[in-house]
Amino acid sequence: MIDHDDYRRAMLADPERDDPELRAHRADCAACRAFTSQLLAFEAKLVRALKEDVPPTSAARPARSSADILPFKPRGAPPVRRPRWLAVAASVTVALVVVGIAWLGAPRSSLAADVVAHMAGEPGAWNTRDAVPASVLEPILKRAHLRLKPDELTVSYANPCTFRGHLAPHLVVQSRAGPVTVMVLTQEPLSRSQHFDEQGYRGTLVPMPGHGSLAVLMKSPASTATDVDAVAALVRSAIVWSP
Amino acid sequence: MDGFHALCQSLRPDLLRFAFWLCRDHALAEDVVQESMLRAWKAQASLQDGKAAKSWFLTIVRRELARTFERKRLMTVNVDDLVAAEEPALAAMEEDHLADMRAAIFKLPDAYREPLVMQVLLGCSTAEIARELELTEAAVLTRLFRARQQLRALCGEDTTEDPSE
Repeated sequence: MIDHDDYRRAMLADPERDDPELRAHRADCAACRAFTSQLLAFEAKLVRALKEDVPPTSAARPARSSADILPFKPRGAPPVRRPRWLAVAASVTVALVVVGIAWLGAPRSSLAADVVAHMAGEPGAWNTRDAVPASVLEPILKRAHLRLKPDELTVSYANPCTFRGHLAPHLVVQSRAGPVTVMVLTQEPLSRSQHFDEQGYRGTLVPMPGHGSLAVLMKSPASTATDVDAVAALVRSAIVWSP
Repeated sequence: MDGFHALCQSLRPDLLRFAFWLCRDHALAEDVVQESMLRAWKAQASLQDGKAAKSWFLTIVRRELARTFERKRLMTVNVDDLVAAEEPALAAMEEDHLADMRAAIFKLPDAYREPLVMQVLLGCSTAEIARELELTEAAVLTRLFRARQQLRALCGEDTTEDPSE
């Protein structure tokens, strides 16, 4: 049996670790469950701090400049290069070939791909089980001008994420078919629903007229399109918009 | 050849971020990764197993960084000045706590920051980090524990219930 300190040491070293001993301790210990929630929220911020401002689909899309890649915009003056003309020339050649090939072959950015990429940056969210306290959830939703009808959904993770430059509440909702990631994309209007199956995730993008759209994702193949649609309908019906 | 280029392209963003978080300088990080890509391109025949590509590139970038540090004594920068210099970009971020987090990451000792970035940014396992840094897995876990503990304290998180070592 592990004690509180063992559990917390293990989680601080690797918050993604999920072995039976840790799960058993977490199930029996409310204090460590609260500690885990706090730690996972911190971890999500850490991931975003390390990756912020990088286009989510950059792995599939060629970078046009350092600003596309690095987390900060370059400072005013251009960097001073070492005068190693041969290396520089070869680098440019390689870069041009790489860019050309990737540009021709890469898929264009899509809302679904960007949602999947964003969600993949917060993997710890899938491991949450316990309901987020209302004192945490409500302020996050309020910033996006919405609330959820009480007792309609069990939200185990809530983070005020930035998606394509806009605030987007990122939630994990517990459903009978397992955990479901929900993103409220108030700045991404859609004309009609779109189903997608990307990188091991099955999901749907649902228009919310006047309020952008809703992204709902589950891990596939454990889920079906019907599961996803059912949760999307449930979430939509639970949302109450506020001015 | 095409596969190698695609591989470079897919790994380049995270390698750039990795180099940046280690050397704290955008231009230098770009130079290091560019040089590393060249070295990788020349040595691509030695990459036998595509699954090992990430570790292979990581090793090349770390060696190139080490070479760079050996070649010249890099200017020492004050972390607070560095963050302030990025002010326009940081100001554009909607959430101030990310700026605080970045400043805190820079304040971590290199020995803690490097495994943390490898784990969180590059998704390396404890075993992979141990192999790359030539440490035992237990030592890696200790460093990761200390890194998060210090980072949480620097970010003003409640650490009163954190375990001692």
